[in-house]
Amino acid sequence: MTATTVAPERRGGLAKRVLARKTVLARKAFLPWLFLAPGLLLALVFKFVPMGKGVWLSFFDVRPFLGDQWIGLDNYTRVLSDHRFQDAVGHTLVLGIGQSLGAIVVGFVLALLLEGQTRSLKIMRTAVFLPVVTATAVVGELWRLMYYPTSDGLVNSALGFLGLGPTPFLDNPDTALWATMAMGIWMVAPYNMVIILAGLAGVDRTLYEAAAMDGVSLWQRLRYVTLPAIRPAIGIVLTLAAIRGLRVFTEVYVLTGGGPAGSTEVWMTRAYTLGFTRNDIGGASAASVVLLAVTLLLTVTVNYFRKRGDVR
Amino acid sequence: MGVRQRSRRLTAMLTVAGLTFGTAACGSGSDSAGSSDPNTLEVWTRSNPDPAATYERVFAAFTEKTGIKIDYQPVINFDQQLQSRASTKDLPDVMINDTALMGSYQGQGLLKPIDPDSIAGHDQITDKTWSSTVGLDGRHYGIPYSRQAQALMIRKDWLTKLGLKAPTTWQEMLGVAKAFATRDPDGNGKDDTYGMVVPGSAQNGYVAWWGSSFLWSGGAQIIEPDGDGGYRPTMDSAAAVRTVTWMKDNLFCGDNAVIQPSAITAITGTATNFQDGNAGMYLTGPYNIATYDATPGKDKYEVVPFPAGAAGSTVLADGENIYFGARTGKTKQEQALAAFLISPEGQKIAMTGENQPVVRIPVNSTLDAAQVRDDPRWSVVQKAYEDASQQFPNAPDFAPIKQDTADALNAIFTYCGSDVRAGLKELNDTLAGDLKDQDLYS
Repeated sequence: MTATTVAPERRGGLAKRVLARKTVLARKAFLPWLFLAPGLLLALVFKFVPMGKGVWLSFFDVRPFLGDQWIGLDNYTRVLSDHRFQDAVGHTLVLGIGQSLGAIVVGFVLALLLEGQTRSLKIMRTAVFLPVVTATAVVGELWRLMYYPTSDGLVNSALGFLGLGPTPFLDNPDTALWATMAMGIWMVAPYNMVIILAGLAGVDRTLYEAAAMDGVSLWQRLRYVTLPAIRPAIGIVLTLAAIRGLRVFTEVYVLTGGGPAGSTEVWMTRAYTLGFTRNDIGGASAASVVLLAVTLLLTVTVNYFRKRGDVR
Repeated sequence: MGVRQRSRRLTAMLTVAGLTFGTAACGSGSDSAGSSDPNTLEVWTRSNPDPAATYERVFAAFTEKTGIKIDYQPVINFDQQLQSRASTKDLPDVMINDTALMGSYQGQGLLKPIDPDSIAGHDQITDKTWSSTVGLDGRHYGIPYSRQAQALMIRKDWLTKLGLKAPTTWQEMLGVAKAFATRDPDGNGKDDTYGMVVPGSAQNGYVAWWGSSFLWSGGAQIIEPDGDGGYRPTMDSAAAVRTVTWMKDNLFCGDNAVIQPSAITAITGTATNFQDGNAGMYLTGPYNIATYDATPGKDKYEVVPFPAGAAGSTVLADGENIYFGARTGKTKQEQALAAFLISPEGQKIAMTGENQPVVRIPVNSTLDAAQVRDDPRWSVVQKAYEDASQQFPNAPDFAPIKQDTADALNAIFTYCGSDVRAGLKELNDTLAGDLKDQDLYS
């Protein structure tokens, strides 16, 4: 401010101007950081420091009171060669992929059904969105009651009306993972719906009209008009799915605890068991670091394909 | 451009550095406030709000008597919290938690060794009880606080209605369970009752905890001392195969409704069928007596000894020990608290009152559980503990052994077509690996 109003006295003026510009610059550089400080502080204390510590601990036999012992990559080889962990990774992949794709399809269908401006639709959208804002533990408890394996359970009493016998959803190792997946889809789909709805709002209406005049079928309209138009929204949904898909924990922990017979054991429940019931913090850290690496890789890959698609 | 970038980077670094120092100062400030005062002990117990209220009364009496203040923390997810406190190398001064965790804690160096002679009133605890707190190196790492043995809770009104007697053998127990499941003992005309409640999930090792009474009574052991300072796994023994086969065939894969639905994924928190009034039997700890007196009601059920298996009736005994956190530097005050907790006065407060008792069977041999409570049902539990009970071996780190046993049992009980012998052989090999990790198996 002062720099521009300073009297035009040649040499001294220049020096003053440079000085003034420097302080302004310093202030300019400082201010954003000041405003960022609270967020940075929280991220630092609650995210980055624990994350760094986790990576660090994964190379140790962790015994806080006897002194940690450096064991290099032993934790990694031990965890990765454990067949129980390999099973858990398999379940995680099935659950993550199934849940993500299912949630995208259901979210898309919901978005198509609930697109519009009328008040009743707004109320419906709010109702459908509720699972997203409900705590996962509560949702898990709710579904555990709904899946109750006798005809008293909600789902089974509904099946009873259709003449189907009660199914032990969570108690049968062949169905438990799928039952967990169904709950996951129910929980995540409305979130995808909102993102896709935003995408749908941006679709040029005239394209629909033109398509209608050309006499296209519903399927053709979806395939050639709607889907290409909401590709950015789908990209976001896919990225989120890549980040969230593999770290599933709460729903499984509440619903089945990894059972029966380990059939729903996933990456994070295994890491949790390692860390907190077997007191193997090093192994649990190694398992978590591998998950971090895989998630990072997956996210970068999805983003790469998204960007390449955008360029084309 | 260059100058600008540099100055920006500098300010950024300064900001971050400032923030780091700020938090470091905050962190150390709040930590030292509690632990630096020599006359305040931080005490942790693994308790829900209800038993925590009982502990509050015990500690209030202690403070009144000695002037030593207690910073009491009831912690539900005890071991998770303890791990995070251990990583900051600042443990609670005194912890009261399960006997079976002693080896695990000692193996991690979390505990101070204890000389029984240094605790006033130590001679009122029997030698047998004291022997349960000896670690692998021969030193004591805990002070006994409360003991209990499992007992069978059974619906008295259902038995009367169906003209049955409380079972004394497994076969009779199975018969009663089937009758409870099929003969409509609650008389509501609906087929909605179950024989027995089973927490059969592997989560936190529940199925091993519940099933151990069956194993002991069937003549099986999970691990046993090899006489050479080490241990060997014994889950492939004929007795273990016979017992686990019986459980699988009759309880988990037998007639419908002998056990409650969802038993295979149930933990104690979700297996509430006895309380809800739709299951007739539950093999569990006596701490539930207070809960069940409210629902289903004191007049509706009775407490009986666990029916005998092939090798008699031997149930799981467990309980709580008092542990001193390593490197806390308040040994005198800790010893004073321990002396109060095991004294007749301290034990009595913890055994009575409206809330769940935190001392079930007193370790102080001058007290009698049934007499203190004026409730003869407790003598059933005390008798079972004294005459026919067995603890988990708690000198080794039993946590991984219990978890692996639970995982294997849960899998065997889930797959009704599975080969029990093969499943247990595999478990035995896993257990051998666990013991090898602890240098206890050769």
